[in-house]
Amino acid sequence: MGSSESAAGRNRCLTGIDGLDNILYGGLPRNNAILVTGSCGTGKTSMSLEFLLHGAEEGEMGIFVAATEPPEKLKENMMPYDFYDPQMLEKKQILFIDLHELYKKAKTEAPEIDQKGSEALIKAIVGAVRSHGAKRLVIDSITSICARLLTADLIREFIRGLSHALAQEGCTALLIAEVPAGEHRYSPYGVEEAVVDGVILLGNLERQGDLLRTLQVVKMRGTTHSRAKYILDLTSVGVLLAPLLKGGG
Amino acid sequence: MEATATGVQKLLEIPPASAIALEMTAEHYFDAVQGILDVFAPQKKLDAVYVTATIPSKSIIGALTTLEVDLTRTRFVDCVSRMTMGASERDDRAVYVESPTMLETVLLKVEFLLRKLGGAEAVVVLDSINSLAIHNSPRVLSEFLLMLTNHLRARGAYTFIFSMEEYASEEIANILNLVTDDVVRFEGP
Ligand SMILES: Nc1ncnc2c1ncn2[C@@H]1O[C@H](COP(=O)(O)OP(=O)(O)OP(=O)(O)O)[C@@H](O)[C@H]1O
Ligand SMILES: [Mg+2]
Repeated sequence: MGSSESAAGRNRCLTGIDGLDNILYGGLPRNNAILVTGSCGTGKTSMSLEFLLHGAEEGEMGIFVAATEPPEKLKENMMPYDFYDPQMLEKKQILFIDLHELYKKAKTEAPEIDQKGSEALIKAIVGAVRSHGAKRLVIDSITSICARLLTADLIREFIRGLSHALAQEGCTALLIAEVPAGEHRYSPYGVEEAVVDGVILLGNLERQGDLLRTLQVVKMRGTTHSRAKYILDLTSVGVLLAPLLKGGG
Repeated sequence: MEATATGVQKLLEIPPASAIALEMTAEHYFDAVQGILDVFAPQKKLDAVYVTATIPSKSIIGALTTLEVDLTRTRFVDCVSRMTMGASERDDRAVYVESPTMLETVLLKVEFLLRKLGGAEAVVVLDSINSLAIHNSPRVLSEFLLMLTNHLRARGAYTFIFSMEEYASEEIANILNLVTDDVVRFEGP
C-alpha cells in the first residue's frame, strides 16, 4: 500500500484500526511513545497486537516485548484475526521478545533497578529495535518495569530516556500500563502519563446494567484529536469503535 | 414527507446510499422481510444485515428457510434473544447483542458483519424503530439512527427502517423525518 510513502505516511503511523486512525485524524504521530492504559481485560494487549499486525501488512517490522504473557499465548491471540498471516512471524516481521531476556542482557535481573540499570535496560530495548529495524514497538507492560524502578524520578527518567531513544530510531511505541479496576487515574505511578507523548485510555462503562468497553484518547502530542469517549468492540476483524451516544445523559 | 404506497418492485427503484423508512401494518410485515431478503438484495447483488429488535432471529431464519430463501449473504444482529440463550441454539448467521439498549454495540455489530461478508454493496434492515423506542429515549434513538444512517450512506449502503403503523407516534414520525431520505408505505408484496 502506498500510504506509507505519502506525506501523511511519513509523519503518521497508521494503527490500521480505522476508528482510532479517524479519532487521531490520520494515525499516531510517528516516533511518538504512547501510553495505552486501562484496567485488566479492557483490550490493551489485543489492540497492541493489532497495531503490529497492521504494521507488518504495511511492511513495518514490529517488536512485542512481553513481560506477563508467554509469547506462545500471544501468538495464539493473533491467529483469529482475518488479517493474520503466519508468514509475518516466519519472516520475523513481528518478533516477540521476553522482557526477561532483556533484563539479562542489561544485567538487571535483580528485582530492583537503579539509574545505571535503567540506562542499560534502555540500551537493550533500543538495541533490539535497531538490530531488527523495527518501526513499531509494544512493551506489555511498562508497569512491570516501573515496579522495579524505585523512585518516581527513576520512572520518569526511564520513560523519557526510552521515548527519546526510540524516536531517534524512527520507532513508534505503545507502552502498556495496568491500572487497578475502579481507580480514576491514567497510570499506577502517576508519572508515566506526563512523560509520554500520548495517552490512550481503555476502560469499562456500566450503563443501566449494560457493560461496555470504552476508548478515549486523552492526549496526543503532534496532532489534534477527538477527546470523546468511544465504545470499543474486540472482533476478528479487529478493534471496532463507535462514538458513545450521549442521549442528554 | 408524502407517503407513497408501494411493494418490493417500487423499492428496486430507490438509489443506493438511501435511508428509507418503511411504514407498514403487521399484515405486510413478512412481505417486507421476504421482499428485501429474497428479491431486493439478490437482484441488486447485495449483502444483507438484518437487525432484529422485534422477534428472535431464529424465528425469522426459520420462516425464511421454510420458504427456501437463500440466506448465504444474509446475517442477523439479534437484540432480543440475549446471551441467556444456550450455545447450541445459536446460529452462525447471527450475532447477539445483550440488550436493545446497547445501541453502539448494534452499530459495531452491523459494521462487523458488513466487513465479514466481504465489503460488497449492502442493505441493512432495522426491525423496527418501534421496538427500539420501547427501550430507548427518543433522543438516544435519533442520535443512534443518525449515526447509523450517516455511516451506511457513506458506505453506499441501503438502509430500511421498519415502522409499524400499529405503534406509530408523532415522536417516531419526527425521528424518521429527521434521519431518513423518504418515508415509504409498504403495502407489498
Ligand atoms: N478478537 C477478539 N474477539 C473477541 N474477544 C476478544 C478478542 N480479543 C480479545 N478478546 C477478549 O477480550 C479480553 C481482554 O483482552 P486483552 O487481553 O487484550 O485485555 P488486556 O487489557 O490486555 O487485559 P490484561 O490487563 O489482563 O492484560 C480477553 O479476555 C478476550 O476474551
Ligand atoms: Mg494484556
